[in-house]
Amino acid sequence: MSPKLSVSEYIALTNQTLEYAYPTVEIEGEVAGFKINQGKYVFFDIKDAGASVGCFMMVYALRVPIEDGMKVIISASPKLTQWGKFSLTVRAIRPSGEGSLKKSFEILKAKLDSEGLFALDRKRLLPQSPQHIAVISSTQAAGYADFIKILNDRWGGVAVDVAHVQVQGASAPDQIIRAIKYFNEREVLPEVLVIIRGGGSADDLSAFNDELLVREIAGSRIPTLVGVGHEVDESLSDLVADKSAATPSNAAQIIVPDKYETIRSVQSSVRTLLPRMERIVSEQQTEVRALLRAILQTIDRQVDEKLAENQQSRTILAQLDPRRVLERGYALLRGDVTVGNEIQIETKQAIIKAEVRDVTSK
Amino acid sequence: MSQVNKTSQKTIQQKTIELHEIVAWFDSDEFTLEKAMDTFKKAEALAADIEHDLLSLKNDIQVIKQKFDTETSE
Repeated sequence: MSPKLSVSEYIALTNQTLEYAYPTVEIEGEVAGFKINQGKYVFFDIKDAGASVGCFMMVYALRVPIEDGMKVIISASPKLTQWGKFSLTVRAIRPSGEGSLKKSFEILKAKLDSEGLFALDRKRLLPQSPQHIAVISSTQAAGYADFIKILNDRWGGVAVDVAHVQVQGASAPDQIIRAIKYFNEREVLPEVLVIIRGGGSADDLSAFNDELLVREIAGSRIPTLVGVGHEVDESLSDLVADKSAATPSNAAQIIVPDKYETIRSVQSSVRTLLPRMERIVSEQQTEVRALLRAILQTIDRQVDEKLAENQQSRTILAQLDPRRVLERGYALLRGDVTVGNEIQIETKQAIIKAEVRDVTSK
Repeated sequence: MSQVNKTSQKTIQQKTIELHEIVAWFDSDEFTLEKAMDTFKKAEALAADIEHDLLSLKNDIQVIKQKFDTETSE
């Protein structure tokens, strides 16, 4: 005979059975009658063409915007309430299908944008050549392997701390959030925080549109670089990060310089020194030659001037030469011009001795 | 950190800055022909040192032990 139970006992027993049979169920359906009461409690129905079930959840578990008509996947536990109503207690809810994902994305994007989370003036510059970086990724993901390969190919001497997390699925946002907190609480902060995963479908990448994750990235003390491999649409994590990369490989290209390019640049800068030295030597030679030319010109000019002066003196001297006077027919007279004295008279042709016979004053 | 060269205790970045300063000296008013050849040799040696460092230094990749799948802390 079946035991006699009180109503409360019956409900408790039913809930125990449900909990044992269905600790967690994932259900896909469309949202209807979505409402939030007192800012804390969320109620809605999940339905398909043939059925509908009431759902309850706490508002803090709501990580993405939900609206009536959206297709969603819920993780929930079935429960019979004390009023005998069957309900699903929802632990997690996420949009499902392209349309719902897009709608949820746009609503949250508009909300975060209005708060200024994507503003360009919030963006910090990443260090040019970091020596210590933190990476948040799944170490089993192809995207992570790509990142490490390109990083090692391009640069060396970097300390890389890697936090292994899930990068898709319901638990991914919380794991990434914990890893961000972990690095931000370090005594010595990494210089940059890189969050990467390889490409995937819109659903796979929906973790990166989680509101709490986006806010955690926005609040990171460490500059952030998000490299989520997708080419068509950006995730909200991309938009909020200080810098976003198209792929994990691109993230590695952004984070470190290329050592071969650096070597070429270093060699080139040294190579330019020799021509530069040659040019300076040539310039100095030209300057010295010009100076020498100027000195020689000065000497030439001074010699010419001296020669001219000399010539002028010679001309004057020539004009003063007594022989020129004799040539013009005059004579030179030497001796005491006194009557009876003998004097000497010099003409152009002869020297004549003569006696003074008479002297008359003029 | 591991970018430090063990012999000179200077990072690649410090050496690169030093090289840029040397190159700039050749265009500065302090340039003298007497010092140019020695300075040029210094630049050559520094460039070779940087190249050696860049080609020999490896990244130190550590996957941290902390688990992030639950709320537990370190």
